[in-house]
Amino acid sequence: MDIEPDADIEKFRAEVTEFLDTAPTPEIREAGRKTTSAFAPFEQAMAWQKILHARGWAAPSWPAEYGGPGWSIEQQYVFASEYQKRGLPPLLPNSLRMVGPLLMDIGTPEQKATYLPRILAGEDYWTQGYSEPGAGSDLASLSCSAVADGDDYVINGSKIWTTLAHKANRMFMLVRTSREGKKQQGITFLLLDRVDYPGMQIRPIVGLDGEPEQCEVFFDDVRVPQSGRVGAENDGWSVAKHLLKHERGGSAHSPALHERIRMIRRAAGDTPSPFGGTLADDPVFQRDLGELEADVASHEHFEKLAISGHPVSQDPAYPSINKLISSELTQRISVLMTRVVGLDGLPDQHDALHVGSDTAPLGGDLALIAMPFYLNSRATTIYAGTNEVQRDLVARTLRA
Amino acid sequence: MDFTFSDEQTLMRDSVSRYLQRDYGFDARQAIVGSAKGWSSDVWARLGEMGLLAAPFPEEVGGLGGSIVDVVAITEVLGAHLVAEPYIGSVVMAGGALAAAPDGTVSAGWLERVVAGEAIGAFAHEEGPGTPDPALVATRAERTAAGGFALTGEKKVVLHGADADVLVVSARLAGEPGDAGGLGLFAVERGTAGLTVTPFTTVDGRRAAHVRFERAEVAADALLAPEAHDLVQRVVARSIVALAAEAVGAMGELLGRTAEYASAREQFGVPIASFQAVAHRLADMKVAHIKARATLLYTTALAEAGRARPHDIAVLKVQAGRLGRTIGESAIQTHGGVGMTDELPIGHLVKRILASEAMFGGTEYHLRTLGAGL
Repeated sequence: MDIEPDADIEKFRAEVTEFLDTAPTPEIREAGRKTTSAFAPFEQAMAWQKILHARGWAAPSWPAEYGGPGWSIEQQYVFASEYQKRGLPPLLPNSLRMVGPLLMDIGTPEQKATYLPRILAGEDYWTQGYSEPGAGSDLASLSCSAVADGDDYVINGSKIWTTLAHKANRMFMLVRTSREGKKQQGITFLLLDRVDYPGMQIRPIVGLDGEPEQCEVFFDDVRVPQSGRVGAENDGWSVAKHLLKHERGGSAHSPALHERIRMIRRAAGDTPSPFGGTLADDPVFQRDLGELEADVASHEHFEKLAISGHPVSQDPAYPSINKLISSELTQRISVLMTRVVGLDGLPDQHDALHVGSDTAPLGGDLALIAMPFYLNSRATTIYAGTNEVQRDLVARTLRA
Repeated sequence: MDFTFSDEQTLMRDSVSRYLQRDYGFDARQAIVGSAKGWSSDVWARLGEMGLLAAPFPEEVGGLGGSIVDVVAITEVLGAHLVAEPYIGSVVMAGGALAAAPDGTVSAGWLERVVAGEAIGAFAHEEGPGTPDPALVATRAERTAAGGFALTGEKKVVLHGADADVLVVSARLAGEPGDAGGLGLFAVERGTAGLTVTPFTTVDGRRAAHVRFERAEVAADALLAPEAHDLVQRVVARSIVALAAEAVGAMGELLGRTAEYASAREQFGVPIASFQAVAHRLADMKVAHIKARATLLYTTALAEAGRARPHDIAVLKVQAGRLGRTIGESAIQTHGGVGMTDELPIGHLVKRILASEAMFGGTEYHLRTLGAGL
């Protein structure tokens, strides 16, 4: 056992902090303070990605051959940790953490050459077309169909929970190409070069937090080239499962969670308790915060074991366990946030939350984000496979 | 960074596991716990031969030069097998306190005997509802005319307090409960006049005792350390780490046994693990075990590097208690009626976890210190 980081890591940390302290614009910092979701405000997140890309740091986990910095896992963790400490907006995940790594693994040489550099540079944003009104946890029952016609597929049906489709310029999706055999066997994975093909219609869906983060996308005889297919026709299910590993898999969530806890602690110190003193002195609050502190600490330990190569990361249940822990912690933190701000969480501060807004926020930093953060975080146990599905997967690894 | 045990430690764990599986099965263990002595000198001697007693001590006192990592590597295995012998009480707690005491006292002599397995030590520290903070100690040590000390006070749940040849006792030379200053550490021999020992078996099958001191007189050289607050705090931290390792060992055993049971036990014509309500409880048990074990290993590595702060120890204490309860209660529920019997190890493993939770400050105490940012 040895907890000491490698000798060069502090030098690396200094290099990272110097950049993160100076490179982000005031708008990017503001977007960080106003992030109430896994998806940061779109324009600022993309602008920040371009700045990071210029430094070669837009995709810490990408291998060097595709333009990543070639960092060790420990370096990636230090970067994520310093990034989160500064409350900077996270980069949008769909392109960098989902379709990008997928194409590296199984894209054609043409697909890699066309898309990967543009993903890395923040020139493209990909939305994910998986779920349908009739296919959520049971994704394999999807019915949006693609029929081969010459060099094209003709798509009919609809997709839902296509995050930020109204801001995206490209889309990856699952379509049904066969109804023969098992339902998993007739699915194909497609890349769409545009989201404005004739016959495509995007309808933003306003969420509980008042934001149109999600969309529904309708396809009415939409003709797309077959060259956008990833993997073989009818083999899209294995492609999708491969991608899911990237979606649920290893990363550094605990630094962001620690930062949220620090924010709650600060706000509690400024909030009078009806029993006298501040909320920070209240034994019930201390107990609740103590539980969160302990659980976030355990999550940090779990993540650090994983990055150090401890066998825990080779457990087949690892991605599901990671998703369960981080999503449920996010929700519990969001609950405590709303309880700390109390009445100050009630004003609808939708306007003030937009980056560059002239509307002055009511209450402190936490009051501005607590309620939308709470509402938005209800999605964390639903997306990327509900937590019920994750528990099924974990339990499967325990069956004799 | 590396959070794995060394090859040497892994070999030791394997051989201890094999030995306990063979000679310390549940029925054998129950017979030992139910015997008059409550633990087995033969087993103790065997553990000594395997190097367990000497593992974490310096070579000058007959040790093998190991560290807290060896303690954790060993106690996790002992916890899984519900070992009742005085490893935690004598080696980790009393041995740890004797090893931490400054040179030039009687500590070295006692330590050599503890390391060699020739003497049993006990750490008489906790009082009242529990004494996680050494400053809370109320037991007093007054100077006597003869130049020694007279101890007065009551210590609770002293592991192997009645078996011990030497008690390592925290007692106040000056100041009031709440003061960090004025705390002394003493070695008190078995049979000292003024000592009343009330022995009992703990719910998890360990021998322990409440120990009362009524002007129990000891010689001047029984004072191991005069300003011992920090020393005692380190011993408490070390004890918490070892108890947590035992608890995590018990959690792993509960998880494995419960998963196996749920896969084999059929109701309504199918294994009960196929019911989602049961499957999800199993999943939560696995998540809880992984979290607790990650925190155990990380905190151990911190302690090894001398970097474990009180905050880190509190996190470990809280997680072993809370996550241990989650696993324990789920294990009983999943086993159903048979989980309620004394005849399966399930309940005994749960009781071991509950016992560690209650020692050195319960979950509430440590949660509040975390929440208050102390």
